[in-house]
Amino acid sequence: MTLGFIALTLPSDAQAQLREILAKSISVSPSEAELDLRFRDGSAFTIRLDDGTIFVDGVSSGSYTVGDPLDEAFRNLLGQAVALEDGALAELLASWSRSAELEELESARLIAEALEASVRDIDEDADVDQGAVSVSVGTESSLLELLVGSLGRLGALEEAMEGLDQELRLRIHVDEDVTIESGEVVSRSIVVIGSDLRIEGEVLGDVVVVGGTLELPESGIVHGEARLADTRILLNDGEIRGGLTDLLESERIMRSGLRERIREEVREELRRDLGNEIRSAARLDDDGFSIMTPFRPVIRGVGGVVEKLIMVLVLGLIGAGFFAVAGENVDRVAETARHAPGRAVMVGFAGTFLLIPIWLFAAAALAISIIGIPLAIAWLPLFPVVVALAVLLGYVAVARNAGEWLSDSSWPWTGWIRKENPISSLFGGLLGLTFAFLAGHVMSIVPLLGVFSILLFVIGGLLTFFVAQIGFGAVLLTWGGQRREYDAYDADPGWAQAVQADVDEATFGAESAPMT
Amino acid sequence: MRKVILLAVATIATIPVEAHGQAWRRVAMSRQLDGNDELDVQVQYGAGRVTLRSVDEGLLYRMNLDYDEERFEPVAEFTGNRLVLGVDSRGRSTRITNRGSGKLELELARGVPMDLDLSFGAVKADIDLAGLALTGLELSTGASQSSISISEPNPLTMRAASFEAGAADFTVTTLGNLNAERIDIEAGVGSVVLGFGGRWRRDARVGIDMGLGSLELRVPEGLGIRLRKDSFLTALDSEGLIKRGDVYESPDYDDAAYRIEIDLNAAFGSVSVVWIGADN
Repeated sequence: MTLGFIALTLPSDAQAQLREILAKSISVSPSEAELDLRFRDGSAFTIRLDDGTIFVDGVSSGSYTVGDPLDEAFRNLLGQAVALEDGALAELLASWSRSAELEELESARLIAEALEASVRDIDEDADVDQGAVSVSVGTESSLLELLVGSLGRLGALEEAMEGLDQELRLRIHVDEDVTIESGEVVSRSIVVIGSDLRIEGEVLGDVVVVGGTLELPESGIVHGEARLADTRILLNDGEIRGGLTDLLESERIMRSGLRERIREEVREELRRDLGNEIRSAARLDDDGFSIMTPFRPVIRGVGGVVEKLIMVLVLGLIGAGFFAVAGENVDRVAETARHAPGRAVMVGFAGTFLLIPIWLFAAAALAISIIGIPLAIAWLPLFPVVVALAVLLGYVAVARNAGEWLSDSSWPWTGWIRKENPISSLFGGLLGLTFAFLAGHVMSIVPLLGVFSILLFVIGGLLTFFVAQIGFGAVLLTWGGQRREYDAYDADPGWAQAVQADVDEATFGAESAPMT
Repeated sequence: MRKVILLAVATIATIPVEAHGQAWRRVAMSRQLDGNDELDVQVQYGAGRVTLRSVDEGLLYRMNLDYDEERFEPVAEFTGNRLVLGVDSRGRSTRITNRGSGKLELELARGVPMDLDLSFGAVKADIDLAGLALTGLELSTGASQSSISISEPNPLTMRAASFEAGAADFTVTTLGNLNAERIDIEAGVGSVVLGFGGRWRRDARVGIDMGLGSLELRVPEGLGIRLRKDSFLTALDSEGLIKRGDVYESPDYDDAAYRIEIDLNAAFGSVSVVWIGADN
């Protein structure tokens, strides 16, 4: 069995003969060049450059660019090979001369080594001047599998073979387990590739194991060095006198560090994704499904109700503040809104429409006047604030009117509203004005009633808008409640009371004798 | 040798340019002799140029092929004593063009006994069987322009050789060197030239079936021939032959060292006998 690659890594004194080539086939096309050899021992070898990939015995082993110097050199080699047969052909392939440029290329080296390995035949136990090589191979395919299938392992092998004691003979085993029996003394160095080595006896030289297991029971002794690559070691009190070298240790450490880093990154990403998922569920986002999906309408509806109630509370407190500091102003505004709602709403619309132009015009006028610039600086932020206060004042006044109206009505749940208590009227009115919103939120909880809730929201929105316009208009008409548009005293209730008053016959009868 | 190498390099380096719908590939195959005894050799080639020679150098065969790999695939099978060479169709229709057509250059082992079967389609063939040790020969072509010569005597005795040509321009020279007991020639349409020169070592029977075309028999002086003709509307130029009954014989037929009996079936053609020098 040929072991050409061993010849490449061993000292060059290993004797190698050329194999007899029985048949050859050379095939070329614009994108492919192939050499196929059949040997007299029945084995075969194929190397093919195919559209950028190098195949050795059908296994992808490297790459090149179609038309590059390597491709041309290989085709030239094939051209020479056409005219040659057997020995001359084998010599040509074994010593493929390449340019200096190609010598640097990994792919060119691969091809050269594969060609040489295919045609060289190393004799077993060939005696040479400097040491002898004994070779044993487990299976026919193991050698080229090792050569082609694992370039990384070849690199480790080369490193492991460096520094071997050159004075000693070598014993090489490929893909077969080896046992040095107890009491046996091996005077050579042992190289084991792709299989296990158990040493119960003694090895005077070095031991190299690549891709297997080294086992040293108590009786096992290695006088030289043990050089391991991609190998497990079982040291059961055995002895390695020359020291132990793990050639791939640094690579292993680096890989372990890399693995740890990757693990950490994955953990972090999972943590982030899980957090996002929980936050998304808590926000009740509508994107995608979560476990909260069936409860979203209820939560949303209840949340809406609570939100409106809080708004009522806030507005009520604001209104209470207005009553406290400017009660009469509120009364005047409320009276105007009650007596002339239509007029107030028109004024409110007009005022709303003219808000921004007035704001900007006045600011410009003040700025142009130069001396009004400080006023303009104050005007710009203050005007919106004043407008907001005016709207709130108007809204609160109208809400109180609404509360008083509800108090007079016989509607359910309005009995608690006390007309004589402005705060009570205010809160009642605010609840009345926001009733449409509250009902809409409640209705949104129930499936299939979404349309009605939308309708209620629209009604509530329109009501709020008109109330705000009425209030704002009333504020404008009364100059913020400074001017009384209508008297506070209203005779109508007095007349109504007088008309409806029950006549007290006893009182009437006692005080008024018939006039005679 | 250097020239051979340079030629081979040039051969491999200059790959035919891809024609429209074609993908040309060049293949060079060879196999060493390996104690081979008698062989059964089949060569099959559809369309292109064919050359066949003998080769020494310890080779069983050497074959150079140019072919369209989309339509054909090379064949080189050696099993037992059976050797099959050439190309096989991939099943598509064969487009016959003059430009970029295929090529088969075949060399077979000199001196190895073989029964040779050549099957060609539309080819231009240049075949020299010199040096081949033939125990049998069959050659069939379709539409072809073929030139077959046996410039060296076959060292073995051949029981039968047959040539079958369809629409062909077919020339066989030095049939005497075949060393065959029987030679059969079947030609459809075309021009056939049969040269009976060479070194005859035995008497032989030659059967000729000729369709529409012309047949020229080039007979060396001193060779005894007897021509029996069964033809229809076929003109025979029997200059130098003597008609005896329903056969035509050469004047020295009775005294000739070797006699050839020719059975000729022809239709719609012409047959002519041309006498050549004894050394041809």
